[in-house]
Amino acid sequence: MMDKVSFTIDGLEVVVDNGTSVLEAALRNNIYIPHLCYHPDLEARGACRLCIVEIGGGELVTSCRMPVESGMVVKTKSPKIEKIIRPVVELLIADHHASCASCPSSSHCELQKLMAHLRIDRRRVRRLRLPKVKAPLDTTNPCFDYDPNKCVLCGICLQTCESIHRVSALYYVGRGYTTRIAFYGDKSRCESCRECVTRCPVGALISRKT
Amino acid sequence: MEELEEQLLREVLSFYRGKKNELIPILLEVQGNFSYLPEDAIQLIASFLNIAEGEIYSVASFYAQFRLLPLGRQCVTVCRGTACHIRGSHQILQEIEKAVGVKEGETSSDMEYTLETVACIGCCALAPCLRINNNVHGEMTLEKVRGLFNPESSSGLSLDGRG
Ligand code: SF4
Ligand code: FES
Repeated sequence: MMDKVSFTIDGLEVVVDNGTSVLEAALRNNIYIPHLCYHPDLEARGACRLCIVEIGGGELVTSCRMPVESGMVVKTKSPKIEKIIRPVVELLIADHHASCASCPSSSHCELQKLMAHLRIDRRRVRRLRLPKVKAPLDTTNPCFDYDPNKCVLCGICLQTCESIHRVSALYYVGRGYTTRIAFYGDKSRCESCRECVTRCPVGALISRKT
Repeated sequence: MEELEEQLLREVLSFYRGKKNELIPILLEVQGNFSYLPEDAIQLIASFLNIAEGEIYSVASFYAQFRLLPLGRQCVTVCRGTACHIRGSHQILQEIEKAVGVKEGETSSDMEYTLETVACIGCCALAPCLRINNNVHGEMTLEKVRGLFNPESSSGLSLDGRG
């Protein structure tokens, strides 16, 4: 079978390897599609729902999990998409109890990129009910800290840990508004590879200088 | 973990095959026996099911029903459902907090009281209501709360339900 497929994305005719996801194809061709839970070295889980695009007659799909098909027509921007992802991002920002000014991840943060892409005005977000208290930093891990106020719960860190060390040392705990990432029990399971710190799309995992 | 508790736990586990999908039934049964999920029990269950302790913690913290801290001898559950809310469950709760000296979600240091709220006990006609262990008390007033929780009557109450 042929191993190249061609499709159209935002009016641009593109040829990619068979099996490439729509999101990867777009990023490779310098078309930005919002995403938080996607990482090139991990299997796409479609958890954040920000990478949705319109295909064909207006069907919405998560582009990270959608392999490109020959002749496919993809639209990455439309009022329909915007209507879905804008509130999601606004809520994430409202729950992001931190300012960018002093954040070490500023300028290489996926959330900042998203905000700029959607032209989100922080003042508009203030109409949402902001978290009252700042949660304390979790310092239980020997080599990095976890800041729940910045975490977007994308799951990249857990998935990374699991893929490298087979069993993750990090887990989601809690539910809903109070969900966090935590290390539990056998802390020595962490092998201090710090790959999760490197891959965190925001600045929620912070390497500690020892 | 004490020997007796470990024995009980091993007995519970002996009815399972060690498959990952048995986690929730096991947690329910262990909690039924211990009133909460002790840390040692979680370790043992983890090795029994061959999963990480963290995974159990993740599941247990997701469901409101699982508890990781022991219950007081008297578990006081105040209903904050619509009917009870309208009929003043908030004041009832405050009054209990004052009387027993613990806040919602806490257990007193002498392990006598645990104070909780739920979305509905299921007897809205008796609003505002509360439950102490397995006994429901309806049509609560601040007076009745004081009666229930003053030191003289509490010794009688602790015989309720569990035992
Ligand atoms: S700590 Fe970072 S990588 Fe992990 S879930 Fe939060 S935002 Fe994602
Ligand atoms: S990147 Fe596709 S759902 Fe998160």
